[in-house]
Amino acid sequence: MLKGCVTSGAFERLSETASTLVNPEMRRWKEEGGRIVGYFCSAMPAEMITAAGLLPFRVRATGSTGTELSDSYFSSINCSFPRHAFNMALRGEYDFLDGLVIFNSCDHVRRIYDHWIRQIKTPFVQILSLPKKAEDAQVEWFRDELSILRQRMQDHFGIEITDARLREAIALHNRSRRRLKEIYELRKGLRPPVTGAEMLAVTVAGTAMPQGPYSSLLSDLLADLAGKEGRADYRARLMIIGGLLDNPEYVSIIEDQGGLVVADSLCFGSRTFWADVDENTHDPLTALAQYYIADRPSCARMYTEYPKRVEYIRNMIKEFRVDGVIFQRLAFCETWGFEQYSLTNDFKEWNIPLLCMDREYVLGGIGQLKTRVQAFLETLGR
Amino acid sequence: MDAKKERSVSRLREEIAMFEPILEVLKLAPGEMGNLQTFIIEDILDSHKKVIECVEHEKPFLASQFTNPVEILTAMDIPWYFHVAHQFMAGGTGGSPHTIEDLEEMDKMGIPSDCCTLLKLLLYYQAAGLLPIPTAYLALTEPCDGVAGMHSVFMNHPDWRGVPVFAPDPPYHSDERAVDYYAGEMKRMVEFVEKHTGKSLDMGRLKGVVEETNKGYAMWMEYNDLRRSVPTPHSYVMPMSCFYLVNDMGAGDPAKTKWYQDMVANAESRVRENRPEVKNQRIRLFWYDIQPMFFSELVPWLEQEWGAVIAMDMVSYCPYELIDTSTEDTMFKGLAKRAFLHGPMVHQARGLADNVIHDITRIVKDYKIDCVVFPGHMGHKDMAASASIMREVCRDLGVPFLHIGMDVCDKRYTTVEEIKNKMSHFFTAMGLG
Ligand code: SF4
Ligand code: SF4
Repeated sequence: MLKGCVTSGAFERLSETASTLVNPEMRRWKEEGGRIVGYFCSAMPAEMITAAGLLPFRVRATGSTGTELSDSYFSSINCSFPRHAFNMALRGEYDFLDGLVIFNSCDHVRRIYDHWIRQIKTPFVQILSLPKKAEDAQVEWFRDELSILRQRMQDHFGIEITDARLREAIALHNRSRRRLKEIYELRKGLRPPVTGAEMLAVTVAGTAMPQGPYSSLLSDLLADLAGKEGRADYRARLMIIGGLLDNPEYVSIIEDQGGLVVADSLCFGSRTFWADVDENTHDPLTALAQYYIADRPSCARMYTEYPKRVEYIRNMIKEFRVDGVIFQRLAFCETWGFEQYSLTNDFKEWNIPLLCMDREYVLGGIGQLKTRVQAFLETLGR
Repeated sequence: MDAKKERSVSRLREEIAMFEPILEVLKLAPGEMGNLQTFIIEDILDSHKKVIECVEHEKPFLASQFTNPVEILTAMDIPWYFHVAHQFMAGGTGGSPHTIEDLEEMDKMGIPSDCCTLLKLLLYYQAAGLLPIPTAYLALTEPCDGVAGMHSVFMNHPDWRGVPVFAPDPPYHSDERAVDYYAGEMKRMVEFVEKHTGKSLDMGRLKGVVEETNKGYAMWMEYNDLRRSVPTPHSYVMPMSCFYLVNDMGAGDPAKTKWYQDMVANAESRVRENRPEVKNQRIRLFWYDIQPMFFSELVPWLEQEWGAVIAMDMVSYCPYELIDTSTEDTMFKGLAKRAFLHGPMVHQARGLADNVIHDITRIVKDYKIDCVVFPGHMGHKDMAASASIMREVCRDLGVPFLHIGMDVCDKRYTTVEEIKNKMSHFFTAMGLG
């Protein structure tokens, strides 16, 4: 369990959900005959899965200890996330999945699809073509992709995904988004009632449990946090940015050195809920396509959106009174590798302290991580 | 020209100065292959000169990517330079005096070392002011994550921020719907070029250009068929030039069609007379990746030491189709297919690993391949993740497979000696050669 500041029953449940692969919520769902559809990228409109009455689960490799099986499929120059995830798949640890949706998110993850369909017997596996830019034609293309997915899901699962159900699902997911934003609001203060590690556990949990209960737990958590004050003894307020980070322990180690993570731009973090899906558009598929391609804060694979991404980070730095930024990247990730270079140049120009760290998916090199964070905190003069 | 502009074309000027005397000598005594070679060199230098002229006289020109249809740009009468090829040409083809110094300077930039060196080098050229700043810039979001990331960095450079950019975004699927979408991207690209250069696209002219490139492509297909012969007619320079000649430097020029005809004629006569350029061929290999910048240190060794010829390679093998020029729509669809389904790298690396299986299976059978060599450029993360599939196909076909692991731009990653050792061990272990 994380050493943070939250004492809350809701938090305990959320934290447990994030720290295990098959959590009690999922187990209960399965026991009650529910079906689970996994997905590999935050660009997946989880609303579609919810609307089908299925449980959306963003695939993580939480608990993985090795890549002994997947090493025959991926190479040493591949990102450790797909290597661990596929290893778990080969070990049968995702056998609870009734379906899987993969995108061409990156050069590493898209190959999971090729291996998955050859090696793993998941009954429903789809790959969707995700554009790399955010103009009207790409929104339209993605809308068609979603429409095809809807049809295939209907055919396979025998459930009608009507517009009305999609609208309901959008409203449900938006509700969670708003709650999360409200919790983030609390972090703007001088004594945030929640640490960065705790917050990451809360957001990760939302990708592995039904949205109804999740949204209720967030409401409970908000009530528990109301009026509470957290740590004030931190040496600096930090923001953590980059791609995939689903392990609160990593943030915890950073915070153990005395920095408090008060904001983030992560694809298991704020980027998934900072904007809402439009609930008033007459066609819910268009609303989803518009949101996932163009409106939500983008990830580095949307190559033309860098200025907006940086503006997003800079606004957060201001609003959350951030003293320094930590950029973390999984080794061999080119998407974030080139982004790192741009950020390094720009942050230098803007005098924003930045620490860039490569890491592996499974937490390791803790000594070095501590040393680098300590040195960074010192450069911040704390 | 101001100093900045002068610097931006300095590598082009150097390359012209380096190659012109070689050209003169070649023209004096061309030999059997000399005419074919001089044409390629002249073409490269002409295109350098065109770009320099645009910079000098402030005429519109573009930077573009290797699969954006040159037919369209030619028909619009807008010069361009092929952005990512800079490393292979002005940057360092065949032992440029700058290669080592460029790589060392690149290392200092702080881009993660595991990112593709080809792209990092390009970013170094940009940062060092060694790329002519175009009127507009045509990017591309495939075939790899690195390319899209590199464009994002490019657009953020202070000197390039004002350069309008358009990147056609190839879909991941390969069906009719994908072709239609990408044909739409091609049309949007035309609108973009028109808007930013003041040039316009005349459909009649495009038809003429495409009809001419079709002739070149038809010859190229014939040429690839001739490479099936045992022994294979040519060493690697000619076949690998096929792609660059039409896609890099320009299109629709009858002189290029003539070049293809001459090459086919030469290959035909060599096959007919059993007079291959490489004697004593003992191993036919399929080189399944782009060629390294230091290929000239490797291939002659392969040929002489092992009698190993590259019977087919990734860049010159493309499942080409000719383009139906009957309507504007068929032309754009054809150009779209050529751009995102057939071009090297986008064909193999974009899309499902099925493409890899299809290529290897066909080529091994059609070209009587003795072994498949996957050089495994360090930038090709998706291909690295497909190596097991390649290995499996090869096992099924009963053909040995070698995954080397190298950096096509940087010999420091895997040295030429190490590559040679790996290949020698492989040939020996497999009883080849
Ligand atoms: S971290 Fe990068 S390489 Fe790894 S899965 Fe994510 S996008 Fe792909
Ligand atoms: S060499 Fe490969 S990895 Fe590098 S840019 Fe080209 S396609 Fe991408």
